[in-house]
Amino acid sequence: MRNFSLAAVSAALLAGLLPCAIAATPMQEQVPLPAPSSSAQKLYSSAQNDLLQIRILLKNGRTQASVGSGFLIGDSNLVVTNYHVVSQIALEPETYVGEYVDTANQRGAVELLAVDALHDLAVVRVGRSGTGFFKVPEQIQQLPALTQGQYLYSLGNPLDLGFAISEGSYNGIIRRGFYDQLMFTGPINSGMSGGPNVTVDGKVAGVNVSKRLDGELVSFLVPVRYVQELLVKVRQQAKPARDFNLIVGQQLMAHQGVIVDKLLESPLTLKVLGPYKVPVRESDQVRCWGQSNAKPDIPYTVDEMRCQTESAIYVSSQLQTGQVSIQHAYTRSLELNALRFSDLVSNAFKNQVSGSYKNQQVTAPACKEQFVSNNKLSMRAVLCVRAYRKFTGLYDFILLTASTDQAMMSLQSRVETKGVSYDNGLRVSRIFLESLGKGGK
Amino acid sequence: MATPDIHEIPAGPHASEVPELAQPARPAAAALNAPFFVEVLASKDEVKHRHQVNALPIRIGRGYDNDFILDDPHTAAHHAIVEQGEDGSLHIRDLGSHNGIVHRGKRLPLISINGNTVVRLGHTNLRVRAADFQVSDELADTTIHSWEGWPPALSGLAIMALLSLLSTWLSDVSKYETIRYLMAAAYVLSGGLIWSGIWAFANRLFGGHARFGRHLFIAGCGMAAMEAWSLFSATAAYALSLEFLSRYGSHVVIAITAAMVYFHLSIINPRHPRRIAMTAIILGLIGSGLMLMMNYQRYGQAADELYMSQILPPSIRLSADQPVDQFINDAKSLKEKVDADRSKAVGHDDQDADAAE
Repeated sequence: MRNFSLAAVSAALLAGLLPCAIAATPMQEQVPLPAPSSSAQKLYSSAQNDLLQIRILLKNGRTQASVGSGFLIGDSNLVVTNYHVVSQIALEPETYVGEYVDTANQRGAVELLAVDALHDLAVVRVGRSGTGFFKVPEQIQQLPALTQGQYLYSLGNPLDLGFAISEGSYNGIIRRGFYDQLMFTGPINSGMSGGPNVTVDGKVAGVNVSKRLDGELVSFLVPVRYVQELLVKVRQQAKPARDFNLIVGQQLMAHQGVIVDKLLESPLTLKVLGPYKVPVRESDQVRCWGQSNAKPDIPYTVDEMRCQTESAIYVSSQLQTGQVSIQHAYTRSLELNALRFSDLVSNAFKNQVSGSYKNQQVTAPACKEQFVSNNKLSMRAVLCVRAYRKFTGLYDFILLTASTDQAMMSLQSRVETKGVSYDNGLRVSRIFLESLGKGGK
Repeated sequence: MATPDIHEIPAGPHASEVPELAQPARPAAAALNAPFFVEVLASKDEVKHRHQVNALPIRIGRGYDNDFILDDPHTAAHHAIVEQGEDGSLHIRDLGSHNGIVHRGKRLPLISINGNTVVRLGHTNLRVRAADFQVSDELADTTIHSWEGWPPALSGLAIMALLSLLSTWLSDVSKYETIRYLMAAAYVLSGGLIWSGIWAFANRLFGGHARFGRHLFIAGCGMAAMEAWSLFSATAAYALSLEFLSRYGSHVVIAITAAMVYFHLSIINPRHPRRIAMTAIILGLIGSGLMLMMNYQRYGQAADELYMSQILPPSIRLSADQPVDQFINDAKSLKEKVDADRSKAVGHDDQDADAAE
């Protein structure tokens, strides 16, 4: 699930999406247009006063660095938006500052009160109050019950062009990420991130967050119950937090506990690859895909299995984390000789760990390498670790293994866990090392 | 040098026999054996130009009425004269020139000279030797004269071609195609020809003749040494679990290159082996230093790679496997290293961040 890139989407894509917008521009007045959906019309006119554009400006020069949307909660001065819209003012407050623009083109400063990087939500305070249109009930029972197929409306300011409303339908809860999201079959564009998504009677269903770039109108919403939880926290806290780096770090630390526990909650599934048995985790969050290079004129065969999480936690434009990926490649050949086969598998084993000393987000990797045996399989094992520079206690772990038991067969595996604690990283690595084995056909 | 000093010749054992034959007014003068040779030097040991003068004194200058004419605009028309002094030895005397006579950085009006004294007149270095000057002993010829021209050239080219075919064969994991082998050989041979050509050009320039064949042979041997090292280091590193052979292997390649430079330079000028060896060692050290700095810049460590990627057949393995527990325990030490790196300042290059890959 790719988050919006806040940069402008190409004009072609925009042109393709425009007909979906309900508030059609009256360009051809002679031709009778289909009547605009009266509910969208009504919704927009009553919601527009509480709809804001959130702009992130460079402190120096006050030029905009990125834009998103937000909405005022009830008649308070609290505005809900996405974390990814305000991540720059959260992590680099010395460089960036936020402001809001409303539908009447009034501007004002925003003050960041709370962030929830895991669900991609944030609450900011502005210098004006809402009219009470967007209500988020305090009781979970009062949240709107959604049924598949029902109309939903997303509001926001797509691509910094102007405020807009788009109509689509609700299509259930998506569990591909570690946290639920709602699937909204309707257009969402960059700049609408953080805008509200409401039912026909104006109840908030969720917050616009992302869309699939490889699909059509496959968009995602953060369920309103997480908004509710964050608002409760904001109301409880005496004053806004100072260091959001620390808070995001704590949230990432909690998240890694969740993903590792979920990854290892039951014994890993062992799949058969030639004579080897390889551990994988197949779940809602971790999807597996396979491929083979089998072609008549290649003197060797590689069967690959790749399982990975489809979602990541957006921390900043340069750092996404929380991904887990498991890859196994089984290579064998009958035609090559042992030396050439070695060359083939050595090349495959090379350059599997990237990283630069100059990276601002994570350190250069440090690696441990050894010939290891788990009593079932002997292998070459390499474990590389990178530390997060800005978040204490978080690391990326990459475990590489290559079987060393056969001259003309090789099993190479790569397990990468991003943004985990050191203990959890070692735990995952150990379990994978212990689970690899032989005993296939 | 066992060269007898010109000053001593009149006092030598022959001196007592000379007076009977002596006709000139000053008997000592006869002890200096004519003819004399004025030599213009290019460098310390290299005579650029030699001129025979049959009798003393020798007048030196730019003018055409001199015994030895200088083609140097920084000398006077009548610059200096070489004659026999009162003590019977030779000396050179300034005839009132503007730039004078300089010996060992000092300008002097009159300098006593022997066959090894070099004086500078303007931009010209000169020495004067008499016919009885004792030259140094004949050097033993260690050059194998048959190993010049085609034999070493063809051997060098054959080594290069074989190496390219071998390494292509070892890494050929697709369907056989002759053109791949031919292309590999063509690349390696043209690389070797260019490298050797540059050395041969330098040899022609500084050593008189090109000796292209010898340079080709050195290039071929260097490539063979590198290939042998890469095969050996990969095998030894894998078999004995000596990862440092693979991690720091580039320094051996640099040492081989330095050795090649040593041999190329020795072919050009075999007279100063120690000086050439020092040059090659210094070049090698600079190369290694640059390599270490580049690795540090890239990975934050001195090694060439993060881990050894070589995987060889199991029959080559000699070292034992470790249990998983020990490997994981050892890996705990990585935490300290990356935690220490966290706090180190990094360059301000935001574009470089590839964490979101």
